[in-house]
Order: sequence, then structure tokens, then C-alpha cells
Amino acid sequence: MLGQLLMSGLAAGSLYALTAVAVVVVFRNTRTINLAQGDFAMMGAFLALIFIKSLGLSYLFALGLSVVCIMALGVLTERLVMRPIADSGWLTLFTATLGVYYILHGVSGWLWGRDTKAFPVTFDPTPIHFLGTVVSEGHLINMAWVTAIGALLYSFFRYTKQGIAMRAVTDDPETAQLMGIPVRFIVMLTWAMAGFLGAFAGILAAPIIYVAPEMMDEVLIKGYVAAVFGGLYSIPGAILGAILIGVAENLAGGYLGAHFKTAIAFVMIVILLAFRPQGLIGIQKRREV
Amino acid sequence: MAESITTTAAPAPSGSRAAVATLKNTFQMQNWVLAGLFFAACFVFPLLPFVEGWMVFQGAFIIIYIMAAQGVSILTGYTGLVTVGHGAFLAIGAYTAALLMKYTGLSVIPGMIAGGLVSAVFGLALGLVFLRLAGAFMAIGTLGFAFFIGAIVNNVPIFEGRTGISLPPNTVFGFEIDDFGFYYVALVTLALTTLFVHSLIRSGVGRAFKALRDSDKAAESSGVNRLLYRTLAFSISAFITGVAGALNGLIVNYISAEVYGDIWYSVDLLVAAVVGGSAMLFGPFLGGFFVAMVPFYLEELADFAFILKGVALIAVLVLAPAGVAEVVARPVRAWRQRKLLEAGESPELADAPGPPTGGGS
Amino acid sequence: MTHLRCEGITVRFGGVMACDNVSIEVPEGKIVGLIGPNGAGKTTLFNVLSRFQEYESGHITYRDQNVDRKKPHEMIRLGMARTFQNLNLFGEQSTLDNILIGAHRHLGNPLANMFSLPGARRNEAALVDKALAVADMLHLNHQLDKPVKSLSYGWRKRVELARALAADPEMILLDEPVAGCNDEAAAELEEIVRHVNRNLGVTMLLVEHDMSMVMKVCDYIYVINFGANLADGTPAEVQENADVIAAYLGEPTQ
Repeated sequence: MLGQLLMSGLAAGSLYALTAVAVVVVFRNTRTINLAQGDFAMMGAFLALIFIKSLGLSYLFALGLSVVCIMALGVLTERLVMRPIADSGWLTLFTATLGVYYILHGVSGWLWGRDTKAFPVTFDPTPIHFLGTVVSEGHLINMAWVTAIGALLYSFFRYTKQGIAMRAVTDDPETAQLMGIPVRFIVMLTWAMAGFLGAFAGILAAPIIYVAPEMMDEVLIKGYVAAVFGGLYSIPGAILGAILIGVAENLAGGYLGAHFKTAIAFVMIVILLAFRPQGLIGIQKRREV
Repeated sequence: MAESITTTAAPAPSGSRAAVATLKNTFQMQNWVLAGLFFAACFVFPLLPFVEGWMVFQGAFIIIYIMAAQGVSILTGYTGLVTVGHGAFLAIGAYTAALLMKYTGLSVIPGMIAGGLVSAVFGLALGLVFLRLAGAFMAIGTLGFAFFIGAIVNNVPIFEGRTGISLPPNTVFGFEIDDFGFYYVALVTLALTTLFVHSLIRSGVGRAFKALRDSDKAAESSGVNRLLYRTLAFSISAFITGVAGALNGLIVNYISAEVYGDIWYSVDLLVAAVVGGSAMLFGPFLGGFFVAMVPFYLEELADFAFILKGVALIAVLVLAPAGVAEVVARPVRAWRQRKLLEAGESPELADAPGPPTGGGS
Repeated sequence: MTHLRCEGITVRFGGVMACDNVSIEVPEGKIVGLIGPNGAGKTTLFNVLSRFQEYESGHITYRDQNVDRKKPHEMIRLGMARTFQNLNLFGEQSTLDNILIGAHRHLGNPLANMFSLPGARRNEAALVDKALAVADMLHLNHQLDKPVKSLSYGWRKRVELARALAADPEMILLDEPVAGCNDEAAAELEEIVRHVNRNLGVTMLLVEHDMSMVMKVCDYIYVINFGANLADGTPAEVQENADVIAAYLGEPTQ
């Protein structure tokens, strides 16, 4: 049973991971928690659904097109909402992303209705046996995708000019500016990346859950919790946090009862923050006086 | 100018200082008159001929929201701490009052006080637990707390989950009250909490809160005990929102996890504080009105209202980052500031040297 | 009598020794200077003494009382105030409110204060009087109702000093009180520092780059370099010390 719970946890964790990583990417370069991240994912899922169902596109083509659209949505959010208030306090930025959340919820409900829709399943729905546990092929495919995206991000931050510039902005925006890095462009790129990760998160989650305006609400919150677990600055930390939460949820659900499944992430975060205010592997910043 | 420092003669009372003091008193009187007029208008409102029962009921709801947002503003506005979890204190207040009423027959006013007190105890604990948190970490911590309380009221049997707890009619001093009476109970409570917040933010304690908000290092080096004042701010904030929560449950004689088990109250209260402007006394009045009225129109407009709410929220943040209240008050403030400066520089005593005190009291 | 003493203070940031076995002693009622090249560890030592910074080893005694485990807000209750090098004011708040926070030590019972009980009101009025008196001394009368962020740098330096004085301190740690001021403002602040020391008997520990001020006002000077004690003595002695001259000319010492 333990092995099964761990496997289910890993599957759930990989659903949270992309959102957690996106939360970290945006936070690192803008000091904003993007509450609309879940809605980027939801819009991505809706668009892919429309591309497949109404336009008859193939799955991969629809996925690619949707990813591009949501990257544009991310850039749009930055240009129209976040940039005009970029100099405001933390709380203002936080609340502004809540405004984007409301708008995207409203737009999707208005255009496509509030009822839940099924997403065409691209894999064999019968569970398969894997390492002595039962798991759906969809979850395995998701885990593969998440691993691939993780590797992609790693090489992006490691080897590309833009990725290195993004890390420089994370470390010290003012110095980066002085070094001639186009900080504004990098911030825009950050939001495009949030869109990229969002679209994938939504499209990968859609066949497993459903498609509706509120489909990603829970994933968003769990992703945020996971990001904070990892200290909010670290991408591997966010992924680790996501897996930890996925596993903890399944263990709590399995051994303590279904009631505890949803609550456990919040109990964990409250306890963690009480003892380590900087997150599990957060950076302890030197106190400057 | 440097020589004057060593002057030891006691100064005559400065004329310009007296003028400034008089002016400040005048401004304060103006504030009192405005607040008095506002509350008088609220008092008369239900008695007006065109006002129907549902308006009075809705009015009481707005008052409750304002009070809850006042609680949030203590943290976000004056102490500089984010909270995305105040719905939890609303729930704690509501359930405390409801359970006491159901099992001990306590009436509205003691229920309200009990709701506030229990909520304050939780606030104190949360303040201690999150002593070192700030920003995004504080936001997720408080949000986690709200979810946690939500899970408890959903699952622990005494709270009766989504079935909810139905309550007997409300009584005050032995008299049964309807919506009309409840409106006045809420209004009087709001007047009291407003008075209290007014007194608090002008006191040395309020000063310490604001000092922690603006620079915790400078505050601590001046002797402000972060542990004490942060937990105090959390408790006061939780108390006020807890009182509002008790009223929120009692007004409809029914509470359930359907309402309090979710985090939307938490988010709404934060929005109320941010939109209204939480560093001003009347900010929560505007913000509370905003979030209480939006769902009122939400049902007719459905999804479109969501869009409107988001656009309105962003518009406010772009146009008035410090809240609507700040924009409303800006011209008045500028005018008063000018008057004060004029008075402070009244020519006859402009260069009066001061005494070299400041040491040994 | 010794007012403040620290012995063998060591602070390490990662691999960097910010303070390496530093010891200083400040006698009661004197002005002691703490100088050294940039990055010598002066501000770190200040943060140690005002208890913002933890340290690996060493001891601090304030009037023969060990204060190793005190918190920053407790130091002011013992009578020690401080100012900050880069100013740490409440920019949105008025000058008067900034000074009033300095008097926080005399607030009394916070609960009574919060509800504006009669006793607390009288106390509050006394605090305001004290703040006004300090403002008078520093000629801040005409700035009282302005938000601090609207003041010039020189004025803000004064507000910071006024906040420290409003606590009725017996000792003040002054971190570069005249840095960034023009000559006139610096001369006035220098005069104020002397006045506070002589007429009010406040002990001072002063970090300052303006050597002419340090040499003029200090009774005794400690020089630190690379986080360690380099020399100490009267201004005249320090000025003639070969190690000190070498350190300031950028030569490696020892």
C-alpha cells in the first residue's frame, strides 16, 4: 500500500510541479505571487480543447498553438496590468494578480460556460502495472512531460543568454540593469515563461481532472504552497515541494482518512513556516542594518 | 545658529506652536463632525419612507463587512502585515457565537464579545507562530490557516459541516430583535470599533505598529518589542473581525461550512482593505461597501460581474495604489498641510531658539 | 567608570571575518571615536553592540551588566540608543511622529495607552512635550508636521539624532552623523553632539569618516582594520601612529 500511495503522490505532485515552478519563476523576477497562474493553465486547457474539438487539430498541434497563445496572455498581463504598477508595494501587485484571476474566470465562464467539460483522452485509460503499483498511463505521460520540461528549463537557465540574464535579474535587478541587461524585456520573458508553464500545466491536467473555469483553483493553491516549501527562489525546491505535498496528501488520505487529504498541505505549510520562515531550502539572507 | 544651541534660557511659549495646535484641533473637530454626520445618516437611514426591509438587511451586511475589513486594516494598513486568512477569524467569531447561543442560550451581545475574544486568542497564537514571516510567506501562511480552519468546520462534528447550525431568533437585553433591530446593533458596534481604532492608531501603540511597518530595525532600536506588538496587532485585528463574524452568523440565524469553510471571505476582506485603503480610518468603509455590494449584483450579471470585479480591482490599483480613501482625502490633506505650514512659520517667532533639553527626565 | 565594553568580538559572514577579536572600551561621559578604512567592520561592530548582529565569540558589558543575550529593543531600556548610517526613518510619517517613536521607552502600559485611559493621556502629553523639547534643541521646530521624506538629507540626519535623543539615552551609538551633510550642517551637528555630551552627560560612540570632526570631538579613538583592532589612543596619538597612517594610505599592515 505504501508503494501505491507514493506512486499516486508522485503523480499528484507532478500536477502541482509546473504551477509551483511558474510561481517561483514569476516571484524571483517580479516579487509577485501570480494568483492568475492557475487561470493561465485553465485558459490553456480551454483553448486546446477548442482547437481539438472545433478546429479538428491534432493533439500536439493544438498543444503547441495553445502554449503560444498563453505565452501571449502572460505577456499581455505584464504589459497591461503589472507594468503600470510595477513600482507599487508587494500587496498591490498581489491583489492585481487577483484581479487578473477574476477577469480570466469571468471571461472563460462567459465564453464557455460554467459546466465541466471532458477533455479528449489521448492515452489508454485502463490502469497499468508499473514497479509493483497501479498507475494510469496519463499520469506516467505527465511525469515524463514534467521531467522533460524540467530538463528544458535547466538548460535554458544554464546555457542560453536569456536564461542567464533572467538569473542575473533574480540575483540583483539593479546591478543587472547597470550591466546592460534589458530588465523590462526579461520581466516580460518571465511572464511568457509563466504562460508557457501554465499552458502545459492545464493541458496535462485536463484529461485527468476536467475542463472548467475553476479547474485549477486547487492546483494553484497547492502549487503556491509547494513553491513556498521550496523557499520561493528555487526551481528544484519548488519541484521537490510539489512532490512532497503530493506524497503527503496521499499518505494522509491513505492512513488518516479522506478528510485529511486536503488539509494536510496547509497543516504542513503552517508548521513549516513557524519553524523555518524562509521555507525548507530557502536562502537565509544576512540581516542588513 | 550653532551658538543658540548652548542657550539655556527657558523659551516663552511659542506663538507659532500655539497656532499649529489650534489648527490641529480645528481639523480634528472637522473630522469628528464628518464622522458624526455619517453615523447620524446611517442611523436615520432605516427610518426613511422609501427604505424597504431588504435594504436595511443589506445595510447591516455592509456594516459587518466594514467592521471585518477594519480588522484586516489593523494588520495590512497599520502594521504592514499581509493577511489572506481573515475569513478564518470571521468563522471563529461566527461559530463561537453560534455554538454558545445554541448550547448555553447566550444572546447577541455576549455572543459578540465571546466571538471576538476567542478569535483574539487564535490571533495571538497565529501572531506568535508567524512572528518572523513577511510578504509572500505571510500571505501563504495566513491562507493556509484559513484553509485549515475551513477543513475543521467542514469535518469536526460539533460544527455540523454543510448541514449547518440553525439558531433561535436574536435577543438583546431580553427583547427579541428583527433585521431592523439588528441593523442598529451592528451600527452601534461599528461606531464603537471605529472609535477604538481611531484611538488606537493615534496612541503610542499605533505609533509602534506604524514604526514596525515602516522600518522594523528603526522601531526595534527605539525599543519597540516586535514580539509584543506584532502579537498585539494580530489579536486586536482578530478581535474586531471576530466580532464582525459573530454578527455575520447571527443576522441570518444560521451558519454552515458552506459559507465559512471556504476562503472567499478571506480574499474579499483583503480586497476590501486594499481597495478602500487600509492606512486610513475610512478606507475600510469604502472597501467594505465595495465588496459587500459586488456580490449583490453578481447574481444578475453572473460571469460578466467577475470580469467587472477584476477590472474594477485593477483599475483601483492602477489609479489609486494606496486605496480609494487616500485619493478622496488627498486634496483635503494637502490643504491642511499647507495651512499647518503657514501657521508653523508665523513670522513673529520664526527663529525662536529652543531650550537645550532632551536629556534627564 | 566604563560605560560600555566589548571583549574579543568575532563575527564571520561565510568565510569573511567581519570582526576578528575586537575589543573596545567606552568610558562614562566621554566621546569615543571608532574609525577605520571602508569595510573595516565598523558598522558590523555597531550592529553587534546594538544587538542586531549575533557574534561567534566575545562578550559585551554595559555598565558591568552582561548584555550578550539582550535583544535590540532591550538595549534602549538600559539607556543605549543608536542612529543608522544610511538613515532609517519612517519616511511617510511626520517629523514629530518620528521623534515620538524615540520616546517609546517611556510609553508605559501599552494596554492603557491603547484605550487612551486618563493616565496614559497625561503620559502621552508628556511624551509630546519631550519630543518638542528635543525638536527645539535640534532646531527642527519648523519641520515638525512635514513628512520626513520631504526633508533634505541634512535635516533627516537631525531627525534621526532627535529620535535617539527622545529616549533620554545615557549613551548613543552614532553611525556617521555628518556623512552627506554640507560643511555648515556638519558644523552644526558637531556642535550639537558636543552639547549633548557636555551638558546632558550622554556617553557617545561615534563612527565617522570626517576626520576633522573625529579629531575635534573625540576624547579617545579606536582604529580597526580588516575587522581587527589596529590602534587606539587620544586623537593626537592616533594621528601619529604609523600603522594607522599606513592603513589609511592603503598599505598592507603587519
